[in-house]
Amino acid sequence: MGEEQSRRAFLNKLVLGAENVVLNPGGQTLVCVFLRGGADTLNMVAPYADPNYYKVRPTIAIPAPGKKPNSGLKLDDFYAFHPKLAPLLPIFHGGELGIVQGVGTDNPTGSHFDAQDQMEHGCAYGTPVNGGWLGRYLRTRINEQLTPLSAVAIGEVIPESFRGSPVTTAIRRIEEIHMDLPPADNDAVCSALSRMYSADAGILKEPGSSTIQLLKRVEKFKSKTYIPEKGAVYGDERFAQGLKEIARLIKAEVGLEVACLDLDGWDTHFFQGGADGIHAALNDQLAKGLAAFYKDLHAYNHRVTTIAITEFGRRIYENGSLGTDHGRAFAFFAMGAGVRGGKIHGHYPGLQDDQYELGPGGMQITTDYRSVLAEILAWRKAPVELIFPGVQVKHSGLIASI
Amino acid sequence: MKRRSLLKAAALVCGTAPLTACEDFYSGVSRDWLKQEIPANIGLLCDINIDPVHHLLSRVAYGPWPGDIDEVKKIGIKQWIEQQLAPEKIDDRACDVRARRFETIHMEPGACFEFKKEVLRRDIVRHTVLRATYSKRQLFEVMVSFWTDHININLDKGDCIYLKPSDDRLVIRKNALGKFRDLIRASAVSPAMLVYLDGKDNRKSGPHDVPNENYARELLELHTLGVHGGYSQKDVFEVARCLTGWRLKGEWERGIVYFDPAFHDNGEKYILSKTIPAGGGEKDLDRVLDILTRHPSCAKYISAKLVQKFVANDPPTSLADLCAAEFTRTDGDIKSVLRVLFNSVEFQESKGGKLKRPFHFVVSSLRTLGAETHAHDELIEYLQRLGQAPFQYPTPDGFPEEPGPWLGTLLWRWKFALALTRGLVPSVKVEIDSLAKSICGENKFESSKLISYFLGRSPSDLEMSTLEEFCKSCPSTSPEHKAELLGLILCLPAFQRF
Repeated sequence: MGEEQSRRAFLNKLVLGAENVVLNPGGQTLVCVFLRGGADTLNMVAPYADPNYYKVRPTIAIPAPGKKPNSGLKLDDFYAFHPKLAPLLPIFHGGELGIVQGVGTDNPTGSHFDAQDQMEHGCAYGTPVNGGWLGRYLRTRINEQLTPLSAVAIGEVIPESFRGSPVTTAIRRIEEIHMDLPPADNDAVCSALSRMYSADAGILKEPGSSTIQLLKRVEKFKSKTYIPEKGAVYGDERFAQGLKEIARLIKAEVGLEVACLDLDGWDTHFFQGGADGIHAALNDQLAKGLAAFYKDLHAYNHRVTTIAITEFGRRIYENGSLGTDHGRAFAFFAMGAGVRGGKIHGHYPGLQDDQYELGPGGMQITTDYRSVLAEILAWRKAPVELIFPGVQVKHSGLIASI
Repeated sequence: MKRRSLLKAAALVCGTAPLTACEDFYSGVSRDWLKQEIPANIGLLCDINIDPVHHLLSRVAYGPWPGDIDEVKKIGIKQWIEQQLAPEKIDDRACDVRARRFETIHMEPGACFEFKKEVLRRDIVRHTVLRATYSKRQLFEVMVSFWTDHININLDKGDCIYLKPSDDRLVIRKNALGKFRDLIRASAVSPAMLVYLDGKDNRKSGPHDVPNENYARELLELHTLGVHGGYSQKDVFEVARCLTGWRLKGEWERGIVYFDPAFHDNGEKYILSKTIPAGGGEKDLDRVLDILTRHPSCAKYISAKLVQKFVANDPPTSLADLCAAEFTRTDGDIKSVLRVLFNSVEFQESKGGKLKRPFHFVVSSLRTLGAETHAHDELIEYLQRLGQAPFQYPTPDGFPEEPGPWLGTLLWRWKFALALTRGLVPSVKVEIDSLAKSICGENKFESSKLISYFLGRSPSDLEMSTLEEFCKSCPSTSPEHKAELLGLILCLPAFQRF
């Protein structure tokens, strides 16, 4: 039996769930959740002890912790969770979920797309770098026998943060990885495609070869019904189902290094609501999804780190249509391996007035987003100076000492 | 037969017939009476470089329909471009028969509220896919898609699904080849846009009200000047002030737009170094649009975006500048800019350098095979899975044009291509034998000629040897293997490009 063949049989066996074989024992996984649209973290981690907060947000502020049904959930003497983040509260108090306040980019455009692009590339404004920050991270892992299942984006498109990665896959479910052809024809088609794509002189070479590899590895995958552990329940939304798929991949031990997943819809200019409404529904989805994921992965949480970031926070004050416009700093969420939870790290800059001339108003940025990402990668022993060249890592306290 | 009587006849037959029989009838009318069919002979392209007409039809159209290349060669490239720039003069009845029958696409917003969301979604999506596939006004459809992305609206926000059919008709389709300013003016007061980017809630009714900047920002950043177009955050705020007061009626007049002076900030504004005097009321909108659409950044940004769409992802500056000059000279006449673009050397020399987006890939596959479809859910599901089902892009920047985000779609492209040629996409029919006969001749099935047909050039040595190798294990004597061979050609790297 050739090496490739035995490896294939081995992988097939394992994705079939037949035996508990570990490919990359103790392998770390980083799960990156991008809250697209600019999440109003000021109402997620509400500074209830700052009287200004209630002044600038007369209708949408989250009430201070108390007996009202819509009250914030006390995190400490200053901050409270949005009530819909309740599922995350025990994880926070259990010390497994941490937050850094005042994180952001130096992007002055106020544009979702420009700010997302900058963050996904992991650069400073106006100084482009090669590839995405996760792409550069994965390049440093090139000797670790990366497979197409080492870097997975849940969905249809490959996020910019993966740009330049030696491997990437975008899938919704593992079951879709097959071609529906009779076996002999399947081999002939795959070998033809393999020849053509590996010889491609342009951008299709890598994704073509990755896709062929992927097909070979999980060919004929027949799923057993996946049963989450500890009674974890994933909702039907794409976000929760995506987390479930990531949990499956982690448990299948296929060497998943990084997974990316989006939760869209945070651009709440209009009628965002306070403890109820559009923003609340997003908090609900986020919290329920992450809490189910955390519970399901109870035996794996020591090697899975999940982060949730957004391109910017929102304006500190509410606008005339009871929503919030684009702002600056946001609160950075991290959960699981390496995280020093139960605490809001970083510096709270207060709710200053906005200055239009300088850029869109919003909470002042006290921590460069790259510094926090670098901390997380440093904990994984990555050469952060290659991934974020020139960045001075300022330890926010979010990550356990390295 | 006049169009009206034809449609009447179709309606009469369909009034009493079951749905599939009805669709068979439409197909029959389209193919047999109006000649949207596969011709008996298709000319062979023998050059190793992509044929210029194949290139033209891949960029300005969604790829050639069987026999299109021969047709264009007859009338000449320049003349064909002129025809495409005057779509109203092109007889499109063969497509109308298939695409006009969805009732909600003709309706006013108010009437759309009577329909279920699934019906509205299905109608507008099917209409779009059928137009792209069968219309002879191909450039028009390509531009409709371009502007749909440029001023994107996601059906899933608020009431947008009820309002998008009229937006598609009165904003996008009406102005797709018209004046840029008219397009943006129509969009600014389109009910769908007022909902999508919160314009309807941008108001100043009390001294402490601050505007909702959502639309103003995208108007500057995405619709007119580009993110580096030289505006400041203060400009965003000031434009938002100008646009306060546009509202939507409710109750029995849903979907009707009006200007409410009581909600308008009537003070003086200062935008891009120009003063808009106090008291302008609803005229503020036109003043803002004059400033923005005549700003040099606008000509530059729109031209660069068009060149990116039609020529290269990194638009050559020479051509972008030329187009920008034409944009300025003609006060934003879209046709004039496109004429300059299509007749440029840069356009002609940019063969095969772009990656098809999934929608383009799917539609060009259907067209090149001369497929028969009424765009049912099973086909739309593939677009969905490839990440480009029409009107479903969530954010205002529209589906990306650059290749990067689409590099993860190969698996589903291959799955679609092979399912399509093997007849496994329910509700889509392809006639491989008659197509092969037109290309290769009676009872012949030659991979070299087939590759030339699909790729618009003779095959490379590697393509040839790879397909020969494939034919060794899957000889083209069986219908199944023939179908797989064609599917395989659609999976090749070269068919992903255009």
